[in-house]
Amino acid sequence: MPAVLGFEGSANKIGVGVVRDGAVLANPRRTYVTPPGTGFLPGDTARHHRAVILDLLQEALTEAGLTSQDIDCIAYTKGPGMGAPLVSVAVVARTVAQLWNKPLLGVNHCIGHIEMGRLITGATSPTVLYVSGGNTQVIAYSEHRYRIFGETIDIAVGNCLDRFARVLKISNDPSPGYNIEQMAKRGKKLVELPYTVKGMDVSFSGILSFIEDVAQRMLATGECTPEDLCFSLQETVFAMLVEITERAMAHCGSQEALIVGGVGCNLRLQEMMETMCQERGARLFATDERFCIDNGAMIAQAGWEMFRAGHRTPLSDSGITQRYRTDEVEVTWRD
Amino acid sequence: MQAAAADAGGPAGGADNSREGQGQGQGGCGGLCSAGTEAAVAGAAPRVPRPQHAPGPGGDALSTTGRPETRTHIFALGVPFPSQLEAEIACASLAPDREPHGGIVEKQLTVTDSVLAVRWRAENSRLLRISIINFLDQLSLVIRTMQRFGPPVSR
Repeated sequence: MPAVLGFEGSANKIGVGVVRDGAVLANPRRTYVTPPGTGFLPGDTARHHRAVILDLLQEALTEAGLTSQDIDCIAYTKGPGMGAPLVSVAVVARTVAQLWNKPLLGVNHCIGHIEMGRLITGATSPTVLYVSGGNTQVIAYSEHRYRIFGETIDIAVGNCLDRFARVLKISNDPSPGYNIEQMAKRGKKLVELPYTVKGMDVSFSGILSFIEDVAQRMLATGECTPEDLCFSLQETVFAMLVEITERAMAHCGSQEALIVGGVGCNLRLQEMMETMCQERGARLFATDERFCIDNGAMIAQAGWEMFRAGHRTPLSDSGITQRYRTDEVEVTWRD
Repeated sequence: MQAAAADAGGPAGGADNSREGQGQGQGGCGGLCSAGTEAAVAGAAPRVPRPQHAPGPGGDALSTTGRPETRTHIFALGVPFPSQLEAEIACASLAPDREPHGGIVEKQLTVTDSVLAVRWRAENSRLLRISIINFLDQLSLVIRTMQRFGPPVSR
C-alpha cells in the first residue's frame, strides 16, 4: 500500500499532493495570479513557489494524517515546464527525499494529467485531449507509450486564451480562461476568426495575431462587444480541438474520450466534445477543477504507478527539463 | 556574507579567505550555517591582444575588426553546514539542474568536510550575476527545507 507524495510547480500553480492506493489523501494548491494585462514570468513565479511550498508540504501531510515516515516515495515534476519554477520545486523534493531517506521519482507532467484523469474517471483506454496553458496534444496509449497523435504546431490553446485575456485586460483571478468562459456565455455575435487545422495538428498563433489586431478596432467601432469576442474565440478554437480529437478517435476506433489539463475545466469545451462523442456513440470523460488544473496529487498518482512498476530516479539523473515529450516515457505499468 | 578583496589572478587567494571567520556567527540562516557564508571574487584577465591590421589595397579607411576581449570570471562560495551529511544533502539537491544558456556559465559543487563549495566560471558577467543570485535563492530554500523537515533520519 504505498503512499506517494507529489510536488507540482511547472507553471503558475504550485501543489503538493498525497495519494495512496487510488485515494487522494490531500491536494492543497496555490496559484500565482498577476495583474490584468500581464502574464507570469519565470523568476517571479519561482519566487512565489519558494515562498509557499514548505507550508503546502506541511498542509498536505497534516490533511493526509501522515508523517514523513508513512510516505514511501517522493514524486516531483521533472518537466516539461518553466525552468526556474521547476527547479524551485525539484530542490525541495530532492531535499526531503534525502532527509527522510525515501526513493525519488521524476514524473512527466503530461503523464501526471493522464494518470489522474484515468484514476478519477475510470476511463479504460480513452483518446486523451490534453489542453492547458502550456500544452495541447491528442494522445492515445499504445504498446507502452502515450503516443502523440496530434498537437499544436505553435502555441497551446490555453496560451492563446491567456494572451487574448491580456489584450482585453481580463482579470487573471482565478484564471484568465475561467473569466473568458464567463464572458463568452454573454456573447451574442459570432465573429469570423481564422480556423487552422492541419491534418492531425492545430495552430493557434495565427488566430491570436488576428484577434489581437481586430479586437481594438472592432470594440472601438462598436461592431462587437468583448463578450462577443470571447464567445467567438472559444467557439473557433474549441471546434478545432474537437476536430482533431475526432480524427484520432476515428483512426484508433476509440469509444472513449478524456479531456485533461486546465482548459478541460471549460464547460463549453466539454459540451462540444460531448456532442461529437454522442454522434459517434462514444463516451466522454472529464474531471473537475481540482484535478484538471495542475495539482500535486496528479504527480503523486503517476508516481504511484511508476513506483509500483519499479521506476526510480537517481539524484544524479533528477535534473529538470523544460522540454519533455509525453512519448519519451516507457509506460511499463500498463499492458 | 564576507567578500574577500579581489586578487588579480586569485582563485588561490579566495580559497584561503574562505576558511577565515568561520567562528564569527553572522547568523542569517539560523542554526544551520552559524558562521554565515563567505564568498571570494577574483577576476582573472587573460587579455587577448587586438590583432594588427594592414591597410587594404587602395588604402581605404578600415573599421577595426579585432576579436572582442574575453575575460574569464571566477566566483567561489563556501557554505558551512552542521554536518557532512547535511552538506552532501544540499549538494545533491542543488547540483542536478543544468545551467541555462549552453556553457556560458559553469558551476561545480563539491563537499569537503561539512562545507559545500561552489565554484563558478563564466565569460559573461551579467549571466554570472544571474546564476549566482538564482543559486542563492535555491540554496536558501534548501536550507529552509532542512530546518523545517530535518534533521536527516539515521541511515
